[in-house]
Amino acid sequence: MSDTRAHAAPALPSGLKDFLKTVLLLELWVGLWVTLKNQFRPHITVEYPKETVELSPRFRGVPRLRYHPDNGEELCIACHLCETVCPDDCIHIVSEKKPEGKGKRLVSFEINYERCCFCGLCVDPCPTKPLTAIYMSHDYEMADYKREGFVAPLKTLLDGMDPKDYKE
Amino acid sequence: MSQETLITRILIPAIQILIVVAVLPLLIAYLQLVERKVLGFMQVRLAPRRVGWHGLLQPIADAVKLLIKEDLVPDKSDRFLFTLAPIVTVIPALAALAVIPIAGTPFTVFGYTVQPFITDLNVALLYLLAISSLGIYGIILGGWASNSKYSLLGALRSSAQMISYEVPLGFALIGVMMLAGTASMVGIVEAQKSAHVWYVVPQIFGFFCYFISAVAETNRVPFDLPEAEAELVAGFHTEYSGMKFAFFFLAEYTNMIVVSSIATILFFGGWLRPFPNATSFDWLQNGWVFLAPLVLGAFVGWLLDQRLGTGLRFMFLGGAVGALAGFAAARADVAHLATMDLPVLSGAFWFFMKVSFFLFLYIWFRGTYPRYRYDQLMRLGWKWLIPLSILNVVATGLAVLVASPGGR
Repeated sequence: MSDTRAHAAPALPSGLKDFLKTVLLLELWVGLWVTLKNQFRPHITVEYPKETVELSPRFRGVPRLRYHPDNGEELCIACHLCETVCPDDCIHIVSEKKPEGKGKRLVSFEINYERCCFCGLCVDPCPTKPLTAIYMSHDYEMADYKREGFVAPLKTLLDGMDPKDYKE
Repeated sequence: MSQETLITRILIPAIQILIVVAVLPLLIAYLQLVERKVLGFMQVRLAPRRVGWHGLLQPIADAVKLLIKEDLVPDKSDRFLFTLAPIVTVIPALAALAVIPIAGTPFTVFGYTVQPFITDLNVALLYLLAISSLGIYGIILGGWASNSKYSLLGALRSSAQMISYEVPLGFALIGVMMLAGTASMVGIVEAQKSAHVWYVVPQIFGFFCYFISAVAETNRVPFDLPEAEAELVAGFHTEYSGMKFAFFFLAEYTNMIVVSSIATILFFGGWLRPFPNATSFDWLQNGWVFLAPLVLGAFVGWLLDQRLGTGLRFMFLGGAVGALAGFAAARADVAHLATMDLPVLSGAFWFFMKVSFFLFLYIWFRGTYPRYRYDQLMRLGWKWLIPLSILNVVATGLAVLVASPGGR
């Protein structure tokens, strides 16, 4: 594409200007100045295990389960909707009929984090109101030494990972 | 041989060499820490902090790691040359230090006169040029003996780079030699004193050519093609580990120190203070009287900043206050501290200050510049530096001829 706009006439012929720029090493001086200046800026990295960065309120980490805010039991009503919608088939729920009253209750709830893609689709159909039983938490530390460690049982889903587990 | 000559000819130089060889690795280990710290700060990150207070023991940890690492020799490599290469690299680097004077005047220890350098060759510059070219053999041998394409490519680049940049390096030094009328390091510094000016002023182009060529000779950024980690894994030392790698590492940093020392001695007056002949600058004689309060103030301010999380405000404030205090103390000449006659110490102080500046420049370049492409490197060497340094030699020669017709 040809440049049709007329440029304002430069003070020096561009060839000479470029020559002077090269010979006086202008760009190199600018570069040195930038690095010199940046030395005195406060650091923006943190010493990770000792301190962590502040997460944004909408940060979506590992999917976890919520306790019922009133009675301290799990909020999940064992409807299997999240299990159905999960594209990776990583949620596995076992439920039974409640001994008295109507509805079902959880026997076990497992999420296999090896397969989970953190899409958050499980949260959308969750029917409990106003809080969803399954939610994208602010946890993100999920390293483990064994593959079995990535299949999170109900206790881990409710209470989060026990920090002791890392030290093994 | 009498006992007297035995001590002055053999024992004292032996002790001096021992000191150099013992102190240098420690110095280099901490130079490496400084490099990592400064690079970290330039990239707005923290740099090593885990081992010791603010990472101060990191060099020790690194050294221990290198010492106990497995010393691998690749299967199909040439074992003999593979072992020989790091040695061939490190010996010339250390040998070059023999002619570097850190101060001008001798001092007395137990009644014996000791010079602040190992030897003062009258052909020191030629010696340095010869020795510094030898170091490249180690790199080429190491790259070839590794039996790895990356190592070989790194070695090839290194040899090409050496051929291109040894020439302007030599020419840049000729200008200084002509001005000083000597090739002895001590003689060159003394010539600068009697000329009342550092040679960087009349030899600005020479210095420019010298320093660029020297960075290329030491294989540092932006001329680190022999070890270009983005292209060649680690270049000529890809296959090296443990102590053999440490030797290459030691040689690289020793070369940096040697090159910085030569720049200091040839162009920046060596151990001379700034304005060495003006009595109105006598307060700079013992430079630490001025500098110590500055550093102390900046350090205290920096500690305060760390506590209060105020960025670096107090560091600059403390440094400014310290600089004022140091200036006042030095001008007032408190207890004759500033003008006390300690020729070796004050000389060594200024020498190390200047060398540190050049070492910082190396790190600064590394934090700033991307690597040259191969053809750009060749173009810079052959089309700019060599003509410029030859012109410099001709111009200096004419100037010397006009200033003193009939020669010296």
